[in-house]
Amino acid sequence: MSDFLSGKVTKRMLFATVLPFALVTASIQAMADGQWGSGKNLYDKLCGLCHAPNVGVGPVIAGRGLPEAYIKSVVRNGLNAMPAFSASYIDDKSIGQVTEYLSSLPTPATQP
Amino acid sequence: MAEQNSAVLPRGAVREEFNNAIEKFRALLGGENVLVNADQLAPYNKVMMSVENAAHAASAALTATTVEQVQGVVRICNEHKIPIWTISTGRNFGYGSAAPIQRGQVILDLKKMNKIIKIDAEMCYALVEPGVTYGQLYDHITENKLPLMLSFSAPSAIAGPLGNTMDRGVGYTPYGEHFMMQCGMEVVLASGDIYRTGMGGVKGSNTWQIFKWGYGPTLDGMFTQANYGITTKMGFWLMPKPPVFKPFEVIFDNEEDIVEIVEILRPLRISGTIPNSVVIANVLWEAGSAHLRRSQYITEPGHTPDPILKKMQHDTGMGAWNLYAALYGTQEQVDADWKIVVDAFNKLGKGRIVTQKEAGDTQPFKYRAELMSGVPNLQEFGLYNWRGGGGSMWFAPVSEARGSECEKQARLAKRILHKYGLDYVAEFIVGPRDMHHVIDVLFDRTDAEETKRADACFNELLDEFEKEGYAVYRVNTRFQQRVAQSYGSVKRDVEHAIKRALDPNNILAPGRSGIDLDTYKKA
Repeated sequence: MSDFLSGKVTKRMLFATVLPFALVTASIQAMADGQWGSGKNLYDKLCGLCHAPNVGVGPVIAGRGLPEAYIKSVVRNGLNAMPAFSASYIDDKSIGQVTEYLSSLPTPATQP
Repeated sequence: MAEQNSAVLPRGAVREEFNNAIEKFRALLGGENVLVNADQLAPYNKVMMSVENAAHAASAALTATTVEQVQGVVRICNEHKIPIWTISTGRNFGYGSAAPIQRGQVILDLKKMNKIIKIDAEMCYALVEPGVTYGQLYDHITENKLPLMLSFSAPSAIAGPLGNTMDRGVGYTPYGEHFMMQCGMEVVLASGDIYRTGMGGVKGSNTWQIFKWGYGPTLDGMFTQANYGITTKMGFWLMPKPPVFKPFEVIFDNEEDIVEIVEILRPLRISGTIPNSVVIANVLWEAGSAHLRRSQYITEPGHTPDPILKKMQHDTGMGAWNLYAALYGTQEQVDADWKIVVDAFNKLGKGRIVTQKEAGDTQPFKYRAELMSGVPNLQEFGLYNWRGGGGSMWFAPVSEARGSECEKQARLAKRILHKYGLDYVAEFIVGPRDMHHVIDVLFDRTDAEETKRADACFNELLDEFEKEGYAVYRVNTRFQQRVAQSYGSVKRDVEHAIKRALDPNNILAPGRSGIDLDTYKKA
């Protein structure tokens, strides 16, 4: 998750096991890229925890060509048990990125 | 800009005054961090409680990124008597989610304050900001191969340690009583002052996250489930990752077995043989988290009859009660403790022990093992699919870790839930001396009649349990005022005296845990 500690940056600075205050400052840079860095990262770290085919908590969303407007509407408003996420949690740019990523994934064998 | 502001106003606020405050918020935070449009506020209004969303609609939401901005927000709120409801990640599902307790409160959203300020892998602690999630911490610990383990609640990946701890939430590892593991807070008071608890007030101290008590009165607990300040940093202890982790399940076939389960478990927990926050999940909790749906077994409305539950047990191998626990340590330690555990259950003559090797990747064993070893997942959200419709309220009375008491509570809760056509979906958790009897009151929130029933049910649960001397340890925002009454008038007087002293303008989350200067003893 790119608004969190970047792995490469962190590893370079992690010669000691104690992390100084200054370490944890990747968030401002990441904001320009979308909070989650990429659609894949957002899916792997959040959406997929419920919606991945092998999890089964929420319906499969990959490979279904879901439009960005629909995804954004569900993300912002929630739907039944699906929680809503504000822009502070998932920004608009990240929603666009995850829409693109979902469309790039193979169509599920069985449509939900 | 005034015409663009939300139609919702804080309680008692005048439009012009509110608009003036909004303009000051914009000047302080930037317009993009002051949300007043309906579509911007909608994500903060998704609740799972038995009440219409409008009752918990915000008038605005502010996103702050620094402590100085939080101080500035507090200053403006004092100037204009604007009440604010602070959230960290806003993932308090079934307890109110991100929505304010009272209609019209301005949300102060601290999700963007998401720095892991410090992790000390030798002293085993972390210091974080409010917006840090467990998922973020997990990634950081994993990427950097730190020998540490997290403890979190079931929404793990997307919730955060600060919010969970401030609401006195629990997890499933030996560090599962999260407030017990908290060490050092930074709190912005209503005055704008920054108060650091414990050793945090000592200039140059390096023991803020080491020693909890500091000197004189220790006030950390006063800020949990409360509205006396805005916590902007929190330290907490992390468990060293053990060389060996051995999760296991013990399956019991009959409802009445809960008496013997708790009796056999208590000495194992108090002695530390089983060190983690053990879970004893009933058949419907197990079914929901394993993705069974009610509609697969019955289509009639109302509660699910016992013969159906027995059929589910027969079909799936689930127990009426399913105990999940784990052992942690070196191989020698785990081997020794395992023998004690196995001997204890063999002596009881009941319960089928299932090891990780036997369970493989089957659910719900897999996600339970992950939660007990600090690996985040959202598998337990499958509970919401059992009945569907998005209604969920946690009814969580505290019980002695005594078999007869747990059985008494289970029977009482089941009777009341069934009276209202709802299911008893429950687990007992934590110990060693207490059990959080956590019941998910699941209902179809798209059905107005069922929602009304769930509301009446929750009220009756509170009333009937109180008659028996029981009370909940935590509750959603709809019922916080009601639950405050269970704990007695002197406690409430003290809480309001503190509120008057620290927040005389009543700007910080009025109504939280029933603490509200504008209404208390004003009727």
